[in-house]
Amino acid sequence: MKKRGRGIAAAYYGTGYGNGFPDVSRARAEISKDGNIFIYIGATEVGQGAKTIFCQITAEILGVETQDIHFVCEDTSQTPDAGTAAASRQTYNSGNAVKKAAESLSQRLMEQAQNHLQLNSVHGLKLENHWVYLEDFPKKRVHFKELVKEDTLIVEETFTAQTVKMDEETGEGAPYWPYTFCCYGVEVEVDTETGEIHVIHGVCAQDVGKAINPELIEGQIEGGFAMGLGYGLMENIGLSKGEIKHNRFANYLIPTALDVPELEKIIVEDPSSTGPFGAKGIGEPVMIPAAPAILNAIYDAIGIRFYEIPVTPERVLVAIKDAQKEGKE
Amino acid sequence: MITKCIRPSNLEEALEQLNQQGYDGKLIAGGTDLVIEIKHHPYEKSTLIDISRLKELRFIEIGETEICIGAGTRFSDIVNHPEMKGICAGLWEACSSVGSPQIRNAGTIGGNICNGSPAADSVPPLLALDAQVIIKDTTKTRTMPLKDFYIDKGKVAIEANELLYAIKFRKPKKDEYITFEKLGLRKALAIARLSCAVFISLGDGDKIEDIRIATGAMGAYPQREEALEKLLIGEVFDAPLIEMSTQEIFNIAKQRLGSRSSAVFKCEAIQGLFGKALRRAAKEAKSYDFHQFNS
Repeated sequence: MKKRGRGIAAAYYGTGYGNGFPDVSRARAEISKDGNIFIYIGATEVGQGAKTIFCQITAEILGVETQDIHFVCEDTSQTPDAGTAAASRQTYNSGNAVKKAAESLSQRLMEQAQNHLQLNSVHGLKLENHWVYLEDFPKKRVHFKELVKEDTLIVEETFTAQTVKMDEETGEGAPYWPYTFCCYGVEVEVDTETGEIHVIHGVCAQDVGKAINPELIEGQIEGGFAMGLGYGLMENIGLSKGEIKHNRFANYLIPTALDVPELEKIIVEDPSSTGPFGAKGIGEPVMIPAAPAILNAIYDAIGIRFYEIPVTPERVLVAIKDAQKEGKE
Repeated sequence: MITKCIRPSNLEEALEQLNQQGYDGKLIAGGTDLVIEIKHHPYEKSTLIDISRLKELRFIEIGETEICIGAGTRFSDIVNHPEMKGICAGLWEACSSVGSPQIRNAGTIGGNICNGSPAADSVPPLLALDAQVIIKDTTKTRTMPLKDFYIDKGKVAIEANELLYAIKFRKPKKDEYITFEKLGLRKALAIARLSCAVFISLGDGDKIEDIRIATGAMGAYPQREEALEKLLIGEVFDAPLIEMSTQEIFNIAKQRLGSRSSAVFKCEAIQGLFGKALRRAAKEAKSYDFHQFNS
């Protein structure tokens, strides 16, 4: 018999290294003599889309298109350190460093434009399409190239996250800043004759502060949900007397595209006061509620609580049989 | 270790090469199992004979009363065939459940049979169809029942100079149907933890004229469950019979699997899989309202 059930799970997650640990990102912004914009940052792209959003942040501040940014990352001989692509910290930490560097570069451009255009102040100057111009009198304008004829313009900025070590005695403190919140709901179908579990629907609500790139966020949610589904239902290293038996993807199973349901994704925006444009990191949080929501849904479907994952067909059938025995006794 | 690969241009040449190489020769078609085997384990044979491009081995012939499928036919060929799903649903379902599209494009039904895996997806439905294997060497062609082809895990009754040419079976008629059920740990790229195929022929008054049941991954090789078939032939298909037969397959599984760690699970799961395959086969064989058997 196939039984359906629904479950939800919520999570909150502290961004960054936390607990008073120095969490520092550095970024360098340049305008070369030919007027090209460069960003150098040691942040690593691991598929999460860091390269894309750092270009977006820079482009937003300098009034250009993202494809106008020459972006250099990962190469430690060329880039300042921006810490690890870990702890869901790159959007928040390195995003802030990139934003600071771009803002600093913008300020320098405006100062040079003030001189060049013989203005009294930088007030009212705008950047657009590689031009600096006076908003009230747009004829007063100068191209980036003019401003860097003599020297490449280089600025470097650092962002250090604010985190407070917890008191070891009392556990008090403010170990992370900011936190992200998420809540997933799933519907499952459990085949009580074979133990198979089919996740048929999922709804994922994720607080992101501010979505710098909504499509990348949706992609990250899809991936996180798939990982969580595998974690809850499939992934098993098969540890036996210290030996990992499932040492290949032939026997260490992760979900295929057919195992992951259509997901409804809800991006919740509540800008963070310290994030770049209000953004927070969601790299890891998107995975967290999937497995507990699925396990709650299984409980709703068949009335059995699982305290061990993965919940494989084998475990489901054995648990159903045990429950029947108990019922009879 | 494999040091040489020969690609004969026709079947005759392939048989000739197989004869010459003797024990050193190994046939390769889709290679979806063999290549992994060669890479991961020291391999004793030295020469691969690649038959993947032999057109003579790649065909699906649907006759008046008989269906014949060449051993080199890809799973995709069967899945994409316009008639196979309608005529032999269970075989089509099994071929559709093999690996992934890439593996189905490369893997052949002959390879699936000869590899001798207890979990081979296409074999239980072929067993339930009472298929015959057609085997060739340079001088002769012989035919034997598929159910006798399996000797042990990974061992099939074929000599070093022989090649599986094709597989044939009687075409299912009206009032007959074949189903396949597979329990994998995910929806694609999953090796069967357990599988089951049921062929049923229903007569007047729901009398079971004939039934053939085959299981996969419930023992050293895929096999016919003839003891169970005997209990059902001639009986009227009804709810108590389903109950009795699922209990019986539990007993069979329990006896066969003994104290294996998977036994508790498989003994439970085979009841569900077999029950589903049986109910669905009967429902399709007779297209009247069968909802009473579908709990």
